[in-house]
Amino acid sequence: MPREQYRDRLTELQTEVVLLAELVLERYEEAVEAAATGDIRRADQVVRQDDEINRWYLELEGECIDLIARHQPVASDLRLITASFKIITDLERIGDLATNLAGRTEYAVGIHPAVDIRSLGIAAGEMVETAVEAYETEEPDTCRAVAADDDALDSDCEATTEAIMRDVITKRTGADSTDPQADRPAALDKTIQGLLTVRDIERVGDHAVNIAARTLYMIDNDEQLLY
Amino acid sequence: MSQPDTDEMTANRTENQGVATTAGETVEETRPEWTSYDADGDTKLAVDDLDVHYGDDHALKSVTMDIPEKSVTALIGPSGCGKSTYLRCLNRMNDRIRVADIDGTVKLDGEDIYQDGVDLVELRKRVGMVFQNPNPFPKSIRDNVSYGPRKHGDIDTGLLARLTGRAEPEREEQLVKRSLKRAALWDEVSDRLDDNALGLSGGQQQRLCISRCLAVDPEVILMDEPASALDPIATSKIEDLIEDLAEDYTVVVVTHSMQQAARVSDQTAVFLTGGELVEYDDTEKIFENPESQRVEDYISGKFG
Repeated sequence: MPREQYRDRLTELQTEVVLLAELVLERYEEAVEAAATGDIRRADQVVRQDDEINRWYLELEGECIDLIARHQPVASDLRLITASFKIITDLERIGDLATNLAGRTEYAVGIHPAVDIRSLGIAAGEMVETAVEAYETEEPDTCRAVAADDDALDSDCEATTEAIMRDVITKRTGADSTDPQADRPAALDKTIQGLLTVRDIERVGDHAVNIAARTLYMIDNDEQLLY
Repeated sequence: MSQPDTDEMTANRTENQGVATTAGETVEETRPEWTSYDADGDTKLAVDDLDVHYGDDHALKSVTMDIPEKSVTALIGPSGCGKSTYLRCLNRMNDRIRVADIDGTVKLDGEDIYQDGVDLVELRKRVGMVFQNPNPFPKSIRDNVSYGPRKHGDIDTGLLARLTGRAEPEREEQLVKRSLKRAALWDEVSDRLDDNALGLSGGQQQRLCISRCLAVDPEVILMDEPASALDPIATSKIEDLIEDLAEDYTVVVVTHSMQQAARVSDQTAVFLTGGELVEYDDTEKIFENPESQRVEDYISGKFG
């Protein structure tokens, strides 16, 4: 087959994207666990390792640009490269969100108790895992399953946000008389960190949907999930 | 003549269950195979069931393909696939080949160009041609451009005309200027119209040939690899010109450069070895998501 080196590079690109995804997922799961257990040492490690993800991301971005510039890819080759180009950006952003989550572990006050970090975090992580599996196996139905899972995650995140806000309102109106005046700044911190954590996990789910959408385009030229 | 419905992109597709290879085994083929395509716009050239034989060689197999007016249609495919044969059928250049046997119909604005009584000189005036290698006459730039109109009697500048006062130098001047401008060459040669055309660069010579073609006011311009002998700068000028010309003319271009087809054309036809039209569709569709696996393999360099 002609253009063997080019074809090898395309295969390698797809493999490297999957490996980057595995690394990102590993860091993300560590961040969820650190935030859930308040393990600061674990969280520190996640923050320090973000550079590795960024370096790898930039290398893969360079590879995509080089393939486009020097090989003028078309059809499914073009879709593989452009989809991968977008997917690595989503992976890099998931890495950043993992760093955010890990960073919150350091707050001594912890996160609002209404947030079940482990449950929400694992659900979002599984969506990323499924989306990457779809990219690796080129399975359109798996892409669509990720989009369906996102509805459940969004609904759980919304319920958690509502619980946090309900708690704030209850305390503010004095209905909960057990909340002493002196703890108000700490309670505010818990609320803000709780809301930000929910938002970050919800965003991880959105990036998983983006990966699934680009993968579906890559496989079938189907733009259904892009909009 | 049947006009395609501009709102309907009716591409009937069938599942291709398998492709038998020369080795005898069957390779599973899951992609649907392209069968038909109606381009946007009114049909300028309607080709129906066109077969061409060169002696025993079946060069073009039952090609049905309508070319819409005022657009660029690219024909791509490996050497010997029949794309140039197809192009030459559109103004009956294949008539010059003694062993060529042509069946099927080619209609220009609904009129069959292969029917008896068609004036070939008039046909080739309406359907002009530009070749791979620039072929200017060893004459002045001016004479190259005005050659066609003089031959067709559109302008009269001969000795007799000059002696009898029928010469039309101003009209000739206007026609030369207009044709050279239309081919984006005027600014480079306006001060040396009497110089020999062979002194121009390759890219300039090719644009001179295009302006020579335009001087007889054609409706269709056929181009057979018009930029393959040119450097990248001259090529980009020809490509710009092709896009520009499509505003007023129907352009059909054969090219070996897939990137060129992708850059300049509105629709692309892919011919593969054996004279078969394998897929014809909007250029964007061909290069982003072709129906045929064979087309995908060809344009992405997996074979051919």
